[in-house]
Amino acid sequence: MSKGASTEKKGIDGQLLRRIITYLLPYKGWVALAFVFVMTAAFLGPLKPKLVQITVDRDILTGDLEGLQQMIMLLFGILVIEGVLAFVNAYLTQWIGQRAIYDLRTKVYRHIQRQPLRFFDRTPVGKLITRTTSDVESLSQVLSAGVVTIMGDLFKLIFISYFMFTLSWVLAVVTLAVMPLMLIATFWFKKKVREQYRETRKQVARLNSFLQEHVTGMRIVQIFSREREEMRRFTEINDLHRQAHIKTIFYFALFWPIIDIVATTALGLIIWFGGLNAMSGTLTLGVLIAFIQYARQFFEPIRNLSDQFNTLQSAMAGAERIFDLLDFDESLKESEDPVRLEKLFGRIEFQNVWFSYNPDADPEDEEAEWVLKDVSFSIDPGQSLAIVGATGAGKTTIISLLLRFYDVQSGTILVDGTDVKDLLLTDLRNQIGLVLQDVFLFSGSVEHNITLDNSEITSKQVIAAAEAIGAAGFINRLPRRYGHEVRERGMSLSHGQRQLLSFARALVYDPAILVLDEATSSVDTETEEVIQRALEKLMEGRTTVAIAHRLSTVQHANQILVMHRGEVRERGSHQQLLAQDGLYRRLYELQYREQEQSVSA
Amino acid sequence: MRVLARLNRFYWKYKRLFIPGLLAAVVSASFAIVVPMVVRMSVDSIPRFVTLYKSFQGTPVADALYAEFFVSLLFFGIVIIVLSLLSGVFSFLMRQTVVVASRHIEYDLRNQLYDHLQNLSHDFYLRHATGDLITHATSDIEQIRRYIGPAVMYTARAVVIIITAMTAMFIISPQLTWYALIPMPILAVSVFFVAHMVHSRSDALQQQYSVLTSRVQEAFAGIRVLKAYVREEMEAAAFEDESRVYRDRSLDLARVEAAWRPIFLILVGSASIIVVWIGGKLVMEGAVTIGNIAEYIIYVALMTWPVAAMGFVISMVQRAATSMDRLCKILDVEPSIVDGDQTDTTIDRITGAIRFENVTYRYETDGAIVLKNVDFDVRAGTTLAIVGRTGAGKTTLVEMIPRLLDPSEGTILIDGFDVRTIPVDVLRGSIGYVPQEVFLFSDSIADNIAFGNMDADSAAIETAAREADLLDNIQDFPDGFETFVGERGITLSGGQKQRTSISRALIRNPNILILDDALSAVDVNTERTILQHLRRHFGKRTIIIVSHRISAVQDADHILVLDDGEVAEAGTHDLLLSMNGIYASLHRKQLLEAELEAIE
Repeated sequence: MSKGASTEKKGIDGQLLRRIITYLLPYKGWVALAFVFVMTAAFLGPLKPKLVQITVDRDILTGDLEGLQQMIMLLFGILVIEGVLAFVNAYLTQWIGQRAIYDLRTKVYRHIQRQPLRFFDRTPVGKLITRTTSDVESLSQVLSAGVVTIMGDLFKLIFISYFMFTLSWVLAVVTLAVMPLMLIATFWFKKKVREQYRETRKQVARLNSFLQEHVTGMRIVQIFSREREEMRRFTEINDLHRQAHIKTIFYFALFWPIIDIVATTALGLIIWFGGLNAMSGTLTLGVLIAFIQYARQFFEPIRNLSDQFNTLQSAMAGAERIFDLLDFDESLKESEDPVRLEKLFGRIEFQNVWFSYNPDADPEDEEAEWVLKDVSFSIDPGQSLAIVGATGAGKTTIISLLLRFYDVQSGTILVDGTDVKDLLLTDLRNQIGLVLQDVFLFSGSVEHNITLDNSEITSKQVIAAAEAIGAAGFINRLPRRYGHEVRERGMSLSHGQRQLLSFARALVYDPAILVLDEATSSVDTETEEVIQRALEKLMEGRTTVAIAHRLSTVQHANQILVMHRGEVRERGSHQQLLAQDGLYRRLYELQYREQEQSVSA
Repeated sequence: MRVLARLNRFYWKYKRLFIPGLLAAVVSASFAIVVPMVVRMSVDSIPRFVTLYKSFQGTPVADALYAEFFVSLLFFGIVIIVLSLLSGVFSFLMRQTVVVASRHIEYDLRNQLYDHLQNLSHDFYLRHATGDLITHATSDIEQIRRYIGPAVMYTARAVVIIITAMTAMFIISPQLTWYALIPMPILAVSVFFVAHMVHSRSDALQQQYSVLTSRVQEAFAGIRVLKAYVREEMEAAAFEDESRVYRDRSLDLARVEAAWRPIFLILVGSASIIVVWIGGKLVMEGAVTIGNIAEYIIYVALMTWPVAAMGFVISMVQRAATSMDRLCKILDVEPSIVDGDQTDTTIDRITGAIRFENVTYRYETDGAIVLKNVDFDVRAGTTLAIVGRTGAGKTTLVEMIPRLLDPSEGTILIDGFDVRTIPVDVLRGSIGYVPQEVFLFSDSIADNIAFGNMDADSAAIETAAREADLLDNIQDFPDGFETFVGERGITLSGGQKQRTSISRALIRNPNILILDDALSAVDVNTERTILQHLRRHFGKRTIIIVSHRISAVQDADHILVLDDGEVAEAGTHDLLLSMNGIYASLHRKQLLEAELEAIE
């Protein structure tokens, strides 16, 4: 916010503007065409009063009806061309601008998406949305109408002046004499209105945030019987909002009459000086009538220019934020000479892995906030590993590292004997199926959520996967089955159903390695059975790493890793660990024993 | 359209602005309409003077004539300027009254809406999205305001200008007038249609903008899944598709917006050309003068905006009617929990005995049951604890005590009165409520605490903060009690927020205190301190504690274990332990957790 405000004060930054304009380069042919059109229109507008002058003096005053009619035809012709040009121009500039905006938006989106998870951990999603939507949008005026229109308006002013001077330099000087007044009035008004808008925006924001807060917290207002007091405060804010607007009305109420008065002053002066000149025989009536029109034509380009000035200014803040984002790329380095593995067997090995979410943590520094400390383990193809431990033990971090969401500070992670850093991210992740406990569903159909829009997966495969998992039952009961729209992060489905969908998603991708973060929240016994069967199906023939919350998962795991405060404290099979009577024993009592009771019961 | 009639009372209320404003519109238009006449007179006088001047050239009379002419032209010039000045003054007055009045009405409407929102009960808010309500309070009211102010003003001004200009024109030459006016109705109609198209297309564009926004939101929120399944490329392609649709909708809009200028240009331009053409012919016939042509050119220019405005006004009225319709749907909702005929106004205080008799609750008439046949009795001054899994119905149960919800079946009695007969203010005034989800306002800490009791002085605020074990934290903040909470202030930790929320309830010195899982974010030691503070009011205050933690509930006089909306177990801590059921297993687990916590 503060950054934006400072940019607004700075005005227009040439360098930034040039950088914005580079997005027009792919369309430079079209821009040149638009430029030609605009110039033509800028010439044709001021030409008309000149032609009216000719016809008044040459035809009307001499009674030459034929000459008049020819001129009228010409005028109509010009008018039509001008109209067509105005339309084509307005559309063409938008056409160019929207294409450039599209390119920029795509670039911003892809840039963000490419960033590693570290970037997303740090940056609120709201900020990223603003960059891709409204910040990009703020450049649209500059990229479309901006440059071309500014030139068009400048040239229009020049052409008007040219015609005026050729008709009568005295009247031209008289007319131009009031123009500074108009310029001053316009720019004064724009400045005031801008200031006032800032105040109005502030009040609108206050009003909105009061409403937002109070509608959300209405329960609190009502429980504490604060209705009267909050009404008073609302009235106060509403009143300030009203006052800000009323002040804006004042400037508008003043501006329009002033412009009219200045234009009419030019008219009055033209009549006075024009009449005197006519007396001395240096001016005709046609010229006088032409000048009456020029005095009115002059205002439009001036107003347009001041508008453009404003849009340029407001675009600067958005442009700065966008370029700041684009200039800072921290996406993970892909190996220069990657090892390509056609199909993984699924052997996983962690060798003395140290990891901290602070990327600059020094491996030598014992004090750094290590989430994982010297973690080592290995899993043979097709085997399963269950990771257990209390919250904050580092379980989730292990699976994030396996997927190379982050790079480790020290140690190595090997898949089939190759360092994950030497593999292409795509190759690595394509071989891993991830099932998170907080199942993230996208809005779209059930099928879309299973395939994630992968067109290589056929509907048949989707149905087969859903059936194998045991999700077909509930999907077939949905109103539109596989076409059923999942709304707002899957709120229309139950927790168990969402789990099953994410299993089907993993199965359909047929990965060599399965990574599971099991849900803690319990589901009813019936669903639990379905899920357990689905899990068995899913784990068949795959190397599995599971953050286990299910008794069956720990019981069947080939190896259990007991994590505590970032370290591996115990490892072994279920029976071995139980016999040890250590950490695992307590975790078992806490998390799993009850399941045993409910299963046996 | 008929809904807009509901706004008529506002015209009456602000008649002192509307009547002078509309008069000013008429006066301003009348002055403006005289300008072209003066232009015509001056233009026509020029050839006359020139002929006269030439015939006396060389004689002393010529100098006098020149002087005379100089003065009269100057006079014409000055008259023109003065007329536009007068017209300007009145147009200033017009905006300063009518548009200002529309802002007053906007203010009134918004107050009315907010006041109404405050009276609507919890179930209304469950059914309406916050975003929609805010849209009603902002953009719908803005649409209505445009109808009230600008639309009315433009209409008044347009009618005066069109009628007077046409009258003046007809007096001069009906023939020329007919021809000159041909493009005008076309202008009004095209403006209406283009405005209509612009609105529908910009709505469509806006809609696509939200689609685009939520697509981005989802992709970035679900980035883990996207990256894990290597779906980035596909998602980017999908985003590009949406982005392309957005671009195409923008261009749809651009296409109609591009029509604005040509419409004005061609219609207004052709009106002027027609004037020169037909006017030229008439001049040759001697029916009108050159001055008339100049006059007509100005009339046509003067009429352009008013005529176009009529097109805009019609589309503004349409939009205002739609907005008003939406607004009325909210304003016409009857508040369900308010004092009414059943209210017994003689009840002016309650002591805090609470009794639930067979209370059942479902969100909708045939909806799923949230609470089923809940029955219990709490004597005034004792403590009731409620435990149970997430979704067991604990929050719904306590929300019924301050009547945020009314039971679907059964009765709740406080001090033996059906809660529905107790005046809402009296009932809520005796309750201190700490909700599960802490909600603080962006305000200072002191104001947030005093929210519970407006009359509280700083000593009372301090006491409340001390009881909630918050005082030390506050004193560590640089601005102490004046520290600002929320977006523009400091971010409180979850525990600090909860304790602020507790202080806010305690400062009311309530006879009934409800803590809905209000200690979940504080550590066990702080919990113990707060509970100790609360115990000091033992016997004088009924306390209801909802918690997951056994440590918070074990000393309660009575403990309810809710499971799936029903009371599964009830009794004291010792009794429940001996039952070896849900409560006992919960207790065991928590002991283990504490043990794990202690391992280094």
